[in-house]
Amino acid sequence: MTALASPLARSGVDPVRAMAAYLGLELRRALRNRRYFVFAIGFPVVFYLLYTGVLQGGGAAAATDPRWPAYFMVSMAAYGMIGASLSNAVPIAQERASGWTRQLRITPLPAPAWIATKLAVAYLTALPSLLLVGLAAVLVNHVSLPAGTWLAIGLSLALGVLPFAGIGLLFGFLFDVTSAQPAVMISYIAMAILGGLWVPVTTFPATLATIAQIMPTYHFANLGWGSLVNGLPDLTDVAFVAAWAVALFGLVAWRYRVSELRARG
Amino acid sequence: MTSLMTASTAPPPVPGRATGATRPSAVHFDGVTRHFGATVALDAIDLEIAPGETVALLGPNGAGKSTAIGLMLGLLGPTSGNVRVLDDEPHAAVRSGAVGAMLQESGLPMFARVGELIELVRHLSPRPMPTDAVLARAGLTALADRPTESLSGGETQRVRFAMAIAGDPDLLFLDEPTVAMDVESRRSFWSDMRAFAAEGRTILFATHYLEEADQVADRIVVLDRGRIVADGTAASIKNASSSRHVRFRSAAPDQAFLAALPGVAAVDIAGSRVDIATADSDATARALLRSDLDVRDLEISGPDLEAAFLALTGGDRTAATTREIHR
Repeated sequence: MTALASPLARSGVDPVRAMAAYLGLELRRALRNRRYFVFAIGFPVVFYLLYTGVLQGGGAAAATDPRWPAYFMVSMAAYGMIGASLSNAVPIAQERASGWTRQLRITPLPAPAWIATKLAVAYLTALPSLLLVGLAAVLVNHVSLPAGTWLAIGLSLALGVLPFAGIGLLFGFLFDVTSAQPAVMISYIAMAILGGLWVPVTTFPATLATIAQIMPTYHFANLGWGSLVNGLPDLTDVAFVAAWAVALFGLVAWRYRVSELRARG
Repeated sequence: MTSLMTASTAPPPVPGRATGATRPSAVHFDGVTRHFGATVALDAIDLEIAPGETVALLGPNGAGKSTAIGLMLGLLGPTSGNVRVLDDEPHAAVRSGAVGAMLQESGLPMFARVGELIELVRHLSPRPMPTDAVLARAGLTALADRPTESLSGGETQRVRFAMAIAGDPDLLFLDEPTVAMDVESRRSFWSDMRAFAAEGRTILFATHYLEEADQVADRIVVLDRGRIVADGTAASIKNASSSRHVRFRSAAPDQAFLAALPGVAAVDIAGSRVDIATADSDATARALLRSDLDVRDLEISGPDLEAAFLALTGGDRTAATTREIHR
């Protein structure tokens, strides 16, 4: 019989260190994905420049309104952030199908750390849209706002995108590898239009305007639109977005429990 | 070959120093049953694997091999019974970093490089193996910067192997590890694996390739329809069944006469060709030559693991599945 490897004591791995290593790899992977640059950064910036410069969209009134470039900056920043968050569903569905998720589950990485990392990726990949659309507004359209307003818009959008990171995760759990992409695209475009991100809600017919009031996209973008007008986001929108966040994180946790219990048999 | 040095009975001998009253155990199954709906994947399995053993879990598709490994890794829970890994809950053993595994059909993520995946597992493990050592052992030194999308099937398997060993595990599970490999990579894979086992690690691999079990494992556990039907060295399993064959030609073979010869377990007649499976080939051949039968081209073949395996797992159904080239 050959010599035995002495079962040396192993202390568990530090979850924060493990998560940092995993997050680092996930962010590098996200940045290598060309789709990410097209959908989350390219589209919103290009749409923003088109509809505030060349095409003067948003209807006749908006075209002459000096507030339009700032208003549509918020719309397109929100649009890009939502797209980046939601599109995380696709790699999650792919990784579940390929067995990569299972491969990670047999490493010492704790399952909650895996979920937290995926949420963090969905969240962090949303932030460049905010920054780049904002830069385009300042550099190209010379949008000028009080410092407090900039801060209110930036912070409220940066926090408000969290429920969409939750939707991205949930879709990744619920849809399989073939349906995740269409599910993301359809819900993304529908929620963006109904939330008034493409065309302002004020130009909507009454029924559509009512529907907009229950869309998380509307309340998310209205955090920024409200800040633009009042210097601070409307508390109604804060409450709505917070409720959405709680509900979605609850669903993610529930969905995760279900798949765990199913395996435990 | 170490297989001859290991005892054949279950439970296997306790290797090394047993400290105190309790013997160290790598894997312990106590009456483990697992159902999937109405299907019984594992049926009241008892199994004890000691540290340092290299064990093959051999069986046809659907025998319960992957279910057993899923239970050992805590990916599945037992319907009833108790599973312990390294004297701990499977989950806790995995969490400690002492367990490595290569699962079946586990893809690599896109937009990642080979070296990054290995570094990830190293960072997730409390006592990792040096990066250079992982790359060298898996034959990936030249591929460290390659994106995962550009790897061949065999290269992908090697990356998965590298990820399984990057945490420097004491216990390694491999579920059909050579399925996507060609003959040459298969040979070099198992030679790496023997070197890995020689360091005193415990290795459990599932396979339906008989020669892999025969050549690599100290001990073979044969699973069929969720039950353990044999457990021992390759030699002991070969000898345990009537796996020697006496073959000859005869103008008019008599089935009843042949079946009554000493040692005979089965008689297969095809025209003038006769194939007798026997537990005692010497006695069978002696009686055959003393008889009046016109015996020509007499041929005796030694114990054959495949024949033993077929006998254990019951005939044609198994023959079909074990010979199939996996997908």
